[in-house]
Amino acid sequence: MLKRAVLVERVPVPGATSFTRWLQSAMQQTWFYVLGAVVLVIYVTPFLWMILGSLRREVEIFQYTYPLTVRTFVPVEWSLKNFLDVLGISPEGKSFGLNFGRALLNTTLVSAGVVASSLVFNTMAAYFFARLDFPRKGFLFLFVIATLLIPFEAVMVPLYIVVRSLHLQDSYWALILPWYASPFVIFALVQFFGEIPKELDEAAIIDGASHFGVLRHVIVPNAVPGLVTTALLEFQFIWNLFYWPLIAVGSKDLQTIQVAIAQQTTQTQVYWGRIFAGSVLASVPVIVLFLLMQRYYVKGVVMSGLKG
Amino acid sequence: MSAVAAQAIPQTRRWWTTRRRGHAIALLFVIPALVNFAVFRYLPILAAIRSSLWQYSLLGGYGQFIGLQAYVRMLQDPIFWKSLQVTIAYVVTKVPAQIALSMGLALFLARENRFAAVVRSAIFAPVVSSIVVVSVIWALMYHVQLGLINSIITSVGLPRIAFISNPDLALAAIVIMMVWKEIGFSMIILMAGLKGIPDMFYEAARIDGASGWQQFRGITLPLLRRVLMFVVVTQTIFSFQVFVPVYTMTHGGPLDATKVIVYYIYQNGFLFQDMGYAAAMSTVTLAILLVVSAVQMRLLRSEVEY
Repeated sequence: MLKRAVLVERVPVPGATSFTRWLQSAMQQTWFYVLGAVVLVIYVTPFLWMILGSLRREVEIFQYTYPLTVRTFVPVEWSLKNFLDVLGISPEGKSFGLNFGRALLNTTLVSAGVVASSLVFNTMAAYFFARLDFPRKGFLFLFVIATLLIPFEAVMVPLYIVVRSLHLQDSYWALILPWYASPFVIFALVQFFGEIPKELDEAAIIDGASHFGVLRHVIVPNAVPGLVTTALLEFQFIWNLFYWPLIAVGSKDLQTIQVAIAQQTTQTQVYWGRIFAGSVLASVPVIVLFLLMQRYYVKGVVMSGLKG
Repeated sequence: MSAVAAQAIPQTRRWWTTRRRGHAIALLFVIPALVNFAVFRYLPILAAIRSSLWQYSLLGGYGQFIGLQAYVRMLQDPIFWKSLQVTIAYVVTKVPAQIALSMGLALFLARENRFAAVVRSAIFAPVVSSIVVVSVIWALMYHVQLGLINSIITSVGLPRIAFISNPDLALAAIVIMMVWKEIGFSMIILMAGLKGIPDMFYEAARIDGASGWQQFRGITLPLLRRVLMFVVVTQTIFSFQVFVPVYTMTHGGPLDATKVIVYYIYQNGFLFQDMGYAAAMSTVTLAILLVVSAVQMRLLRSEVEY
């Protein structure tokens, strides 16, 4: 390898002097930064517009749209009114019956419920597939993996029919139960568990541990990164879920934050400031979590992509 | 293997052996998950088929057998065909655009550089953001009078564009937004694929004097085929089921220009109270997507041999 690198170094570029080579690399660098900056602007602007827009009065948003200046983005007078409105704290918000605080609480409860139950049941199932002895286990694994082929949004209406026939509609159960196990999470955890040496289990079993003991004291402590990754993906999935909570739950007290925001756009008059504020409340937690734990996210996505 | 072991050890004739007991305990670990998949993933498929063949309403439950009536109606429903057409138009524009752009970005940003890392994070941020938030914000950005995009367009002297209320542009507007949102996902996967290609191939090609484009055609593309194929498969199936942007931005309009199939199913089930028809359309969509994945799995498998 090393020799090859040296060889490449010595291949003469026809007619290249050190100056033209310097110019070439400088141009490449500039090109990289310019193009990168353009991409960055395209991606950051909508978020910036949303966050700064949530911090100014609605009149201001409209007043400074034209012409395009700094004021299109930066508030003249900073204000938290939109947040007070959507949280139902200000009298105006109250009169509209807005209660995004409740919606955020619902979303948090449902996400926490799904992540917790999914950590328990998916981990158990993955342990079964990775370690335990059972006749025709491959067939059961196929039963699990085949569910990955079922198109998600296309079966929401039939899922509603099932949930309704179980009399679970319009309850927290409807939002949590369908998601307490996930084929993707089981699949990913089986891969993670496979990397733990089997000798560790065997030693624990010789020491008299039960299957449950092995799972708790050997597998789980050794699979923390995998568990964190899948928990993060699961959290983000449930937090952002829209179609299912839209149809599964009718009463306003059980509304999730995504449904509450979408509802703001279906009214005859659209209040931009409130939409901005609601969107900030809904997206800031996931984005902050993502920035803090980016490595896990990327690992999870790559896993879904390369091993799927 | 375990069967051989069981034969080798002369055991009692009792049915409840230690091994069977072990299996029973093992089964306890997987049963909760299996129940979930049976009830919430497989049962809906049966429910869809059943409620499409019998008369069904949310309040009245199942009524008399109507056979294939709902399916016949579907074949004669111009809006159903229109929605299928809109969905396919969405998929065949969005998926190639997304994959080409994310391929470009993956190649462009796959370097050890602080700035590249920042740009990568920015591109990935919409992937973790909710589709509701993204589509609501873009709906405001696209606004004819007050939207940010029109503010930018007019500042360089161009006329305003009615993105969402123009039937010719509405679907394109959704495609652009969704490409923006989901590029990060395919980019990360392609980047991981790029990392898996050994450097020595490129070095050898450079020694032979291959240009950047020749290297891409001759090395990157063929070695990345499997990953690319996977991204195409998942994005096709995923995009076929687009719903949220249509719900929040256009409600299927204007003039049904954005009425994708999943939105039409939702409309029938929950706005027109026609669950049976919605179930029949769900069944057809399910069948279409299962065929698509079966075909593409075939292609993937042949890739492995290659």
